[in-house]
Amino acid sequence: MARQKQDLLQGTLDMLILQTLALEPMHGWGISLRIQQISREVLQVNQGSLYPALHRLEQQGWIDSEWDASENNRQAKYYRLTRTGKKQLAEERENWARMTDAVGRILQGGMKTEG
Amino acid sequence: MPGWLVRIRTLFRRSRMERELDAELSFHLDMQAAQYEARGMSPQAARRAARQLFGGVEGIKDGVRDTWLTRLFETTVQDARYGVRGLRKHKGYAIAVIATMALGIGANSAIFSVVNAVVLQPLPYERGNDLFLLRQERTGRENTYFSLADIADVTSMSTAMDAVVESHDMYFILVGAVEPARVSTGVVSWDYFDTLGIRPLLGRSFVAADDSMHAEGTLILTYEYWQRAFKGDPNIIGRRVEMNDRAHTIVGILPDVPTYPQANDVYMPRSACPFRMDAEEIDRRGSGMAEAIGRRKPGVSDRELQADLDRISARLQAAYPDAYPAARAHRFTATPLRAEFTRGFETALAIMLATSAFILLIVCASVANLSVARAMRREGELALRTALGANTSRLFRQLLTEHVMLSLAGGAAGLLLAFIGMNLLVGYVERFTTRATEIRLDTTVLLFTLGLSIATGVFAGVIPALSHRLTSRRTAPYANGHAPVNWQKIRRALIVTQVATSFMLLIGAGLMLRSLWKLASVEPGFTTDHVLTMQLDMNFTKYNTKELRGAHLDQLVERLRAVPGVVHVGAGGSVPFLENAAQGLGYFLIEGRANVDETLRPRAALKIASDDYFRAMDISLISGRFFLPSDSLSSEKVVIINDSVARRYWPGADPIGCRISGDGEEWYTIVGVIANVRQQLALEPTDEVYRPMRQLPYVTTNWLIRSTSDLAVVAPLVRQAVRDVDPDQPIYRLRSMDDVRSASLAPPRVITILLGLFAALALFITATGIGGVIAFSVSQRTRELGVRVAFGATRAGLVSMIVGEGIRLALTGLAIGAIGAVFLGGVLSSMLYAVQPTDVITYLSVSSLLLAVAVLSCLVPALRAAMINPMDALRVA
Repeated sequence: MARQKQDLLQGTLDMLILQTLALEPMHGWGISLRIQQISREVLQVNQGSLYPALHRLEQQGWIDSEWDASENNRQAKYYRLTRTGKKQLAEERENWARMTDAVGRILQGGMKTEG
Repeated sequence: MPGWLVRIRTLFRRSRMERELDAELSFHLDMQAAQYEARGMSPQAARRAARQLFGGVEGIKDGVRDTWLTRLFETTVQDARYGVRGLRKHKGYAIAVIATMALGIGANSAIFSVVNAVVLQPLPYERGNDLFLLRQERTGRENTYFSLADIADVTSMSTAMDAVVESHDMYFILVGAVEPARVSTGVVSWDYFDTLGIRPLLGRSFVAADDSMHAEGTLILTYEYWQRAFKGDPNIIGRRVEMNDRAHTIVGILPDVPTYPQANDVYMPRSACPFRMDAEEIDRRGSGMAEAIGRRKPGVSDRELQADLDRISARLQAAYPDAYPAARAHRFTATPLRAEFTRGFETALAIMLATSAFILLIVCASVANLSVARAMRREGELALRTALGANTSRLFRQLLTEHVMLSLAGGAAGLLLAFIGMNLLVGYVERFTTRATEIRLDTTVLLFTLGLSIATGVFAGVIPALSHRLTSRRTAPYANGHAPVNWQKIRRALIVTQVATSFMLLIGAGLMLRSLWKLASVEPGFTTDHVLTMQLDMNFTKYNTKELRGAHLDQLVERLRAVPGVVHVGAGGSVPFLENAAQGLGYFLIEGRANVDETLRPRAALKIASDDYFRAMDISLISGRFFLPSDSLSSEKVVIINDSVARRYWPGADPIGCRISGDGEEWYTIVGVIANVRQQLALEPTDEVYRPMRQLPYVTTNWLIRSTSDLAVVAPLVRQAVRDVDPDQPIYRLRSMDDVRSASLAPPRVITILLGLFAALALFITATGIGGVIAFSVSQRTRELGVRVAFGATRAGLVSMIVGEGIRLALTGLAIGAIGAVFLGGVLSSMLYAVQPTDVITYLSVSSLLLAVAVLSCLVPALRAAMINPMDALRVA
């Protein structure tokens, strides 16, 4: 768990995984690739965080999994967003928006008083 | 797949999941390597780079495994630890919740242990579910029992049953244990225990040879009697005792199982019972003295069994039209023996079950209320944790874990309470069913308690947890603890539930109490104080003629009358308030009136009384005379009737000198009319006809000894007097009539105490609940109240405003409770004496009591509010 904090805030990785899976079912490799690509290589996903996170989300019932043939015809474990997962994602997005908004305001306000 | 299922799966499919994890990770690794290769690396270099980037595979696996197994347990342990820490800080809250839960769970465990033992568990017999009690029904008679011929007929004709056995209970005198004792004796077919599937603990069962006419006497002892009279002597088999002046060999000991219909001391084969072997009993058809139990063949349905019995009845009616007259429709019925064990006990059981369920409801509402109150105080903390990213469902689970922990503790304490209360319950249930001996806190009860504890905890915890979940989403960004959801609204709803349920319990208790009070103050038509009673069963082989019995009775009366302080000595076949008091109904004819069909003839209870029976009872004579020593075996046959008979059949006329008869051959002259008496406090006086004991000297006599001195002094003298006359005469139930009267009220008294106790408990829990809610509402409205005072509101006005809030809650609950009580009152009606289930006085007094308690519990917070200093109040932020 300690390793996770080096890369992403607790909870943020979960949100990113859910968001990625909201587009289409995907295996672990694909998820890490996608997050890297979309964030333009800003966010590196550590496998040591990714897989425990996937299994944890599965146990929370937000995603479920299925073995299926991958693009190169190998069996891969595909994760898919569940209904409760969708709700959770919506909630986390909202929280995130509020949080960034609040933090943004604080930072702005701080600059004004300084200036 | 739902999350919890995934979690459970991880517990059982570990190896498969390991393999899947391997495959999943190696896929990732391969894909990474393939990517590097595509960028131009050599396969080996690509692989190495991929591994490097990937980090330690085992480390990752460990991280994943952590999420599998440990999460379920670790988070629970964490929640529990957190809960304990939290509760330790709020000891008062924890103790209140555990104590409340202990009461609710304890009550339910105790009642469940009764239901489990006497209703749910199968009979502890082999094939107990195939055993049926058979009855012969006739117009006007629920059961005419079975003669020897009836048993033989049904056994030989039945195709649906593989055995039919009989039993009846007698009292004999057994000599050879500690002292001559009256033993209750089950008289049974030789294959009775084989058919019921009861194997003797020691020795053997009866065999066919034991039941032949000239067989040697044999006895089987029940476990309880063996322990009591022979101290569990293991070498008892083969020992000889004397009974009915015959030697009987003890051949077996029964295991500790309940017997039907009563708990007997010993069992003998029917051939040894002089009454069963009476010529008349053997020849008779269609009625007799024995109960019949049939064992259904395996696979036969209830309907097939009844059809079989109907066929037998039809054949018998065709073959013996005299014994089965068409006018008195004959029919056999079969009811499961298991149900017969609890016959007449169902209502009491239903009341106990309902009461304990109500208590549980109140307990849940009260605990939920306490925890909502606690959650309100913790709202700031919870909201803060949510804002800092705590998972709401985790918080939800934490609240639940806390409650389940509390209720498990409550359940453990409840078991202790149940264990303590068990003796009271068993003593009560014993009055109704011999299966009371099976009541114990066994695995089933323990599992029930465990399940109930968890369910109670979840139920009581889910309300605050859910409400928190609802609020947390909205309040998360504010984290200042002012919730938009109205917690007080939830608490009010819970209080209303409590008030309504308490009201129903109070009504139940109130009705029972009024009924009991009315019963206790019933005038039975005679006076019970300063009267001793006892039962003497004469050894009928020693006193085997009417003359001998008559002389023995005279001797006893004379000797007892010589006891200092004794004024009247009476003896009769029965005395009021005993269970055998309502014995022997008989039909009779009145001389000079048309002879009608048997079913339409006058009917009365036939009783036996000695010369001084009525004087000892203090029953007044209305006309004629009491029995006299001159009413002897050789003189004219006489009877005394009660006022009820006189008014019914000789309205406005004097029945003295008129004659009645049972069979139209032997006529009895009415010599006296006595006042009506009640044989049971709850029963109206019935028609009674008394015959003089001198003309019908019976073996079983119940005595009434009226004394002017202290009964405690007289009792040992009475005992000695009886021994003086016959040292081998056992004395049974020597007690004061006051005790007998009071003991006859024990069953309604126990139910009343039980209901009353539970109702008082409910009232207390509810009162504290109301007080708590009002106090909290006052503390939240400190500012508002301060403003009101500042604007000139009087203190009295404030008090009445706050008390009014409590009264509104109470009234709402009362109204709901009243509707429920009216609905449920009907269940009680069969247990009530001279009280309607909708008794206005009970409803009014219970309502006032509840309201008074509600006002009292609001008064403390109201007075505190009235003391508010407006300036202080306004300064509160």
